[in-house]
Amino acid sequence: MDTGSKDFARRRALLATLLAGIGAVLTGAALYPVWRFLAPRKGAEAQDQVALSRDQVPLGGAHFFNFRGRPAVVLQTRAGHFTAFSAVCTHLGCVIQWQAAEQRFLCPCHAGLFSAEGAVLGGPPPRPLESLAVSLRDDQILVG
Amino acid sequence: MRRMGLAGLLILGLLAAPLAVWADEGSCIQCHAPQPGALGEPVALWRGSVHQGNGISCHGCHGGDPTLMSMEAMSPERGFLGAPEDSAVPSFCGRCHVGVEEDYRASAHGLALGEGGPQCVTCHGSHAVRVAGLDLINPQDCSRCHDYGRAGELRTAMEQTETLILALDAELKQLRRIGIAVEDWQGRLFALRNDFHRLFHSVDVDKVRRQTDTFQAKLAGMQDEVAELRAELNQRKWIGAGVVILLLAASGLFALLRQSYGRQENTE
Repeated sequence: MDTGSKDFARRRALLATLLAGIGAVLTGAALYPVWRFLAPRKGAEAQDQVALSRDQVPLGGAHFFNFRGRPAVVLQTRAGHFTAFSAVCTHLGCVIQWQAAEQRFLCPCHAGLFSAEGAVLGGPPPRPLESLAVSLRDDQILVG
Repeated sequence: MRRMGLAGLLILGLLAAPLAVWADEGSCIQCHAPQPGALGEPVALWRGSVHQGNGISCHGCHGGDPTLMSMEAMSPERGFLGAPEDSAVPSFCGRCHVGVEEDYRASAHGLALGEGGPQCVTCHGSHAVRVAGLDLINPQDCSRCHDYGRAGELRTAMEQTETLILALDAELKQLRRIGIAVEDWQGRLFALRNDFHRLFHSVDVDKVRRQTDTFQAKLAGMQDEVAELRAELNQRKWIGAGVVILLLAASGLFALLRQSYGRQENTE
């Protein structure tokens, strides 16, 4: 190989190295958001689960609590039968109230009505209340 | 022939569009809008109101059946309520504005209902209802019934929080325009704003002062979340600019590489 060819080869090796470096950075930049979207948050589920005592929820009554930073409610509709919902009205986002006598939820903003099962009974709400998973462990109610 | 058919369909569509709008507005507006005086004025006032903007038409408040094109549309059998007496206005509006009615009834305003006290329409008007703001508390309107002093104090007590609410609302609208999903924040802000405006209906300055810190703390929390998002959007802009610079650099390097192969071929 003569001197001229060597120069060309060294020059191309340098250019290829620089290109490979830039390519690696760009690939990383493209893959990072995908990885961040797909990777589960560490311990998120355990942290997000809320434990309540059964005593906090009277029969036929409701207990409001904070779930993942937003208001939620748990009901005891029959003895030992608990259901939980987001306490945010699906109309414009106001916090609903429990009407024990009528066994239903009322939104004080625009009179949206929801049943104890979260279904829309009347008013402007377009969707039922968001239902939350409930499980029981000893004397605790686990929501989420 | 096909072109003529398409043109015909287009013309039919254009002709049918106003009819569809007409049909949506119902018989109340069709009959009342062209009438002079008190029978037609409410329609013009309602247009552009917060109620119209949210799809609340005449029958939403006055009852009746807007699908009937006869006087039966206004029969009690069809749920027609007509215009309420002054003292019945809070119950009339309170069918939808439940929380506000509750606070109003417990207030000095509500307790004076039927004895010269104001009801909803006194301050908000009946048909040209706008999104309520602090401008409703002003010397001209409040002085119709009493001295402005206490009302002015109430306005001052609410002003700072209301300004924060409006600023956050404007910020969320701006974020929405650039494609950010802000429904959750908007819902939380609406609920907070509604609770805050309910507080006004108590017309209790001390109560407003006591609860102001709680409202401002919630607003500060939301402002922090929005600021965090803004910081992330700024970071994304810088990363985007970096990617563009790297792509330009890569294309330059490619050009040099190509040039190098070309030159070697020429020298050989």
